[in-house]
Amino acid sequence: MQEKKIKNKIIKRVKTNFKDARDRNDFKYNRLDFSVKKEIIPSVLFYLKDEMGFIHLSHISCVDWLEEGELEVVFILWSPEEKIKVFVRTRLDRDNPVMDNLDMIWRQANTYERELREMYGIQFTGLEAPDEFILEDWQGPPPMRRDFDTEAYSNETYFHRPGREDAEDVRETITKRSGEDIPDFAKKYSR
Amino acid sequence: MINDKNSQKIVDFISNWARKHSIWVLGYGTGCGAIEIPPTMTSRYDAERLGIRGAATPRQADVLLITGYLTTKTLKRVIRVYEQMQDPKYVVGFGSCTINGGMYYDSYNTINVLDKYLPVDVYINGCMPRPEAVLSGFGKLQQLIGEGKANGATKYKENLEWYRANQKKVIPNWVMPEYNW
Repeated sequence: MQEKKIKNKIIKRVKTNFKDARDRNDFKYNRLDFSVKKEIIPSVLFYLKDEMGFIHLSHISCVDWLEEGELEVVFILWSPEEKIKVFVRTRLDRDNPVMDNLDMIWRQANTYERELREMYGIQFTGLEAPDEFILEDWQGPPPMRRDFDTEAYSNETYFHRPGREDAEDVRETITKRSGEDIPDFAKKYSR
Repeated sequence: MINDKNSQKIVDFISNWARKHSIWVLGYGTGCGAIEIPPTMTSRYDAERLGIRGAATPRQADVLLITGYLTTKTLKRVIRVYEQMQDPKYVVGFGSCTINGGMYYDSYNTINVLDKYLPVDVYINGCMPRPEAVLSGFGKLQQLIGEGKANGATKYKENLEWYRANQKKVIPNWVMPEYNW
């Protein structure tokens, strides 16, 4: 009850300040969810950090909406006082994903932004960091995007040992080799 | 006298016998396989009774133990470590990932067949191999060394161009020192 009151208060304050923030708040636990436009992301995050007490940046994540042609960046914030986490979402164009650099709000955002740049190809204007993060000498497309076919890439880049594709039943092979019978209770697990 | 065929045989026998009873392992702990090494080394399975023990640096080690999947980034370091090791040197591939990719066969960043890049003497199968399997693999390696058949290092030197071509295929930016053995 107390938690619900706090949640409603937060929603009200955010919505009065940012008119076009859409919220989806049917969660039973301590979670809130806002979707905003990418232009007001810095002001929303500054507001949540400085005024509302969401001082901890838990994670910056990304969702690839391939069918809609968009990338969704998700900021997960945590308030140690209210014990509530807030998800702030924004959508970027998939062909030209550009958004503002945010590591002046939280310094650790720098690391997450480098990861998103490498894995999803999102460009953060003004991000000062070395080009490579985890992948070394990477020349392909951003690997975490959904239209990147990792199996095809692996097939053409690396050697493969033949013998994987037969997919034979190990239990039957072993019993045939050693001349045993499969017990009745185990037969229902055979292919 | 040493050119005499029979005395060379005796020298080989003695040196192989000595080598097979003092295997110093450089555990290159890639992937999840490294967690099987502590129980193998400590009191329950006690690999040291067979002469198998850890080495601190590549130059002191005889065996390069590669425990699990190798990303292309790690492969670069592994090649460098292998080339720093001094003869006699052997490679043990540990777990399914080094054999055929294991559960990471379709990953964009892990190699699948280790023996195209480094000469593997013994493979230990399993995901993960238990300490018994590890000891059995080392037993096989000892047997091969005793018979003088564990000649991966010679193979690597003789076919260096083939190995280099494979390595450079997955490591496009090649900035490695050339060792002159």
